[in-house]
Amino acid sequence: MAPIIRIVNLTKKFGDFTAVDHLNLEVEEGEILGILGPNGAGKTTTLLMLTTVIKPTEGTAYIGSYDVTKEPDKARTLVGMAFQEPKLLWVDSPWDILNWHAKVCGLTPDERRKRVRWVLEELELWNDRFKSVHAFSGGMRKRVEIAKILIQRPKIAIVDEPTAQVDVVGKHRIWNMLRDLRYEGSTILLATNELYEADALSDRVAIMHKGKLLVCDEPKKLKDSIPGGDVVEITLEKDASDKVLEELKEIPRVANVLAIKQNHLKIYLNQAEEVLPKITEFFMRMNVQVRSIRMSEPSLDDVFAHYTGLTIEEAQRE
Amino acid sequence: MTSLRKVWVVAERDIKMFLRYKFLLIMRAIWFVSQIALFGLIVNHMFQTDVQAAVGGSYFNYYAAGIIIAMLYSTTVFIGYDIYEEADHGVVEYLLSVPVSRKELVLGRSVGGGLRSFLYVGPMMLFILYLIGISNPLQLLVALLSLFLFAFGVAGFSITLAVSIKSSDRFDILMGVIDALIVRLSTTLYPIAYMPPYYKGVALINPLTFAADFFRWGAGLESAASVPPILAAFGIVAFSSIFTFLGIVLHERRLEGGGWR
Ligand SMILES: Nc1ncnc2c1ncn2[C@@H]1O[C@H](COP(=O)(O)OP(=O)(O)OP(=O)(O)O)[C@@H](O)[C@H]1O
Ligand SMILES: [Mg+2]
Repeated sequence: MAPIIRIVNLTKKFGDFTAVDHLNLEVEEGEILGILGPNGAGKTTTLLMLTTVIKPTEGTAYIGSYDVTKEPDKARTLVGMAFQEPKLLWVDSPWDILNWHAKVCGLTPDERRKRVRWVLEELELWNDRFKSVHAFSGGMRKRVEIAKILIQRPKIAIVDEPTAQVDVVGKHRIWNMLRDLRYEGSTILLATNELYEADALSDRVAIMHKGKLLVCDEPKKLKDSIPGGDVVEITLEKDASDKVLEELKEIPRVANVLAIKQNHLKIYLNQAEEVLPKITEFFMRMNVQVRSIRMSEPSLDDVFAHYTGLTIEEAQRE
Repeated sequence: MTSLRKVWVVAERDIKMFLRYKFLLIMRAIWFVSQIALFGLIVNHMFQTDVQAAVGGSYFNYYAAGIIIAMLYSTTVFIGYDIYEEADHGVVEYLLSVPVSRKELVLGRSVGGGLRSFLYVGPMMLFILYLIGISNPLQLLVALLSLFLFAFGVAGFSITLAVSIKSSDRFDILMGVIDALIVRLSTTLYPIAYMPPYYKGVALINPLTFAADFFRWGAGLESAASVPPILAAFGIVAFSSIFTFLGIVLHERRLEGGGWR
C-alpha cells in the first residue's frame, strides 16, 4: 500500500537558520508514528508544513496523493492538527471553540452534538464548557486543544505534544483516546519529547535532532539495534578522569560509555553477567569507589544517545 | 461541504466574536447618539438658507445620513484588530490549518466583518431613516444592499492592511489617521460644493463619498448627492472587489511564510 504521508527532502529555513533539513519520511496508513526529539529539533516546524500552515523552503510532502505545495486546500481536507500551544482566544469558551471546529470540519449537526458532548465529558471539561478559557489552567487549555482532533476524527491526525502539562490521569485518558482514534481508522503523527509517550504509543518512532532525521523504526527494533544490548548505570564516589573513561571503553564487550556526569556513567555492553565483575575489578584497580550499580534495558533515550552522543536531556540544554 | 457554506461558517464565527465586545458596542452607540443629538442638531441651526439648499433641504438630514456611513466604516474596520488579537494567541495558524481554502477564509471574514457591523448599525440606520422619512422603498432597498457591499469592502480593506502591517500599534495609529482623512475628504459630513478644488478631486474617488451619496439617494435626498447613483454604485463594487482580491492575495503571501510568530 502506498504511504499516506510521504515527506520528500522537506526543508524549512528561517533566514540563515535551517529548522528542518532535507527530511525524508514515510508514514503508513493506520499507524501511530512518533517524532521524538529535544527542544528545537524541528518537530513543530515539520508538522506545520504538513498542515500547510507554513510553506517549505525546499522539498515537499504528499498528504494522500496531494502535494502540500501544489494542492494545499485538498491536503488540508485530510488532516487535523492539535497544536503544541493551544490556539484559543481568551474570550472563547470550549463549547464555542469545539462546536465551530466541528462545523468547519463538516460534521453533521447530529455527529457534532454527540461527539462534542462525549469528548468534553471524557476530558472532564463538560462542567466548564461555557467558561471563558481565560480562566483555564495550562492543562485544561491543552485538553481543549486535543479535543478538537478527537471530535474531528481526521484521516490523518497530527498532534504536537498532546499531553504536555496534562496530569497523569489525563495523559492516560488522552493516550487511550488516541489509540481508539487509530483503531477507528485514523493515522496519527505524534510529536513529543517525552520518551515514555513515544515508546508507549508509537508503532514506529522517528528521532529528530537539529532538523535532521536520525533514524526511524519500531521502538523495540531501535532499542535492540544499538550495540551493547545491556545498559549498566554506575555512580562513583568521586569523578572519573578522562583516562579512566578511555580505559573503561577498552574492556572487552563494552560498546560505549556515556558520562552523564563525571561520576555518573552509562555503560552500554553485551553479556553484562560476565563483564560486570570485570568492571568492578577495574574500578577497584583504578582506586575509584563505586557507590551504586544498576542494570537496565535500553530506552529510546539510549537510542538517541547512540546516534548523537548526547542524552535527550543534554541535547535539550544545548 | 460546499464552498458557500464554508464561507458562511467562517463569517458566523466573526459575527459571534463581535457580540463579545459589549463595552465597545455600547460606547460606539453613545458616540452615535451624541453626534446626532448634539452636533447634528446644533450645527444645523448655524447654517443659512443657501447652505440648506446645497444639501437638499436640511443639513441635519444630510449630516445624519453621512454619519451613518462614518459609523459603518469605523465599526467595520474592527475586523483588522481581531486579526492581531488572533495572531497574539496563535489563532491565525489554527485558521490556516482548518479545511477551508484561503479564499473561503478571507471571503468569510469579509462577509462576517461586513455583516456584523451592518447588523449593529442597522437599528441606527432605521432610526435615521425614520427621521428623514422614506420616499421610495425600492430605491432604499438598492441602497441598503450596496451599503452591505460597502461594508464587505471595508472589511476586506481592514484585513488587507492588518496582514500587511505586522505591528498592531502601527496598525492602530494608521487606522486613526486613515479614519480622519477618509471621513473628512468625503461627502459624509459636508457637500462637495464647499470643498476647495484639490480636495474635491480626492472626495470624488473616495469610497465613503460613494457610500454616503448612495445612501442619501436611497433615503430620497437625491439633490444632495454629488456623484450620480450609477457611478456611486460602480465605485462601491470596484472598491469591494479590489480589497477582497488584495485581502486574499496578501493573506496567502504574508501568513504562510511562518513570520507571524
Ligand atoms: N517562525 C520562526 N522564525 C524563526 N525561527 C523559528 C521559527 N519557528 C521555529 N523556529 C526555530 O526553528 C527551530 C525548530 O523549532 P521547532 O518549534 O520546530 O522545534 P520543536 O522540535 O518543535 O521543539 P519543541 O520540543 O521545543 O517544541 C528552533 O530553533 C526555533 O527557534
Ligand atoms: Mg514543538
